[in-house]
Amino acid sequence: MTKLLEWLLGVSLVGVAWGLVTFDLLDLQLPAAYKEVAWPMPVYLLVVFGCYSLATIGYRVATFNDCEEAAKELQAQIQEAKDDLKKKGLKM
Amino acid sequence: MLQHMKATGADQAVGLGLVGFSLFLFTYYTVWVIVLPFVDSDHVIHSYFLPREYSVILPGVAALILLLCVGTFIGVVTWKNRTPKKVD
Repeated sequence: MTKLLEWLLGVSLVGVAWGLVTFDLLDLQLPAAYKEVAWPMPVYLLVVFGCYSLATIGYRVATFNDCEEAAKELQAQIQEAKDDLKKKGLKM
Repeated sequence: MLQHMKATGADQAVGLGLVGFSLFLFTYYTVWVIVLPFVDSDHVIHSYFLPREYSVILPGVAALILLLCVGTFIGVVTWKNRTPKKVD
């Protein structure tokens, strides 16, 4: 089985489990609190993933060492690229 | 020889600000979605959180706004660079 199929299978299993709990398709009569927790789960997982991404980026920005020479070189290259594109007619 | 200095000033502030913000957001959202349903409805903590529906609506609206901004930017740059068709 390919990785794609594995992922799709995993996601559909989790999705079915979530649907069963949220829409009470099996009449499991779970306590109301569990259903309250279950239905925002897809959005919750997305938000948590977003927070993790943001934190990782922030942490790496804060701990990345400055490179003076590389910074100057990059600024020069950016200016060069801007001038070149302006010459060719791109308006930013 | 390449110079390597520790990240300075603005970089650290922005980076740590991002980390702090995402930690706060994670904590608030986790309490809202996962902890609150198990807390008695007359506990004072509920007054710090909006009704439950907003825990899904607000991220949805935020995602829409993000998509709108990206789309608008692409549209504006594309518009500025349109060239009129040449007529022979």
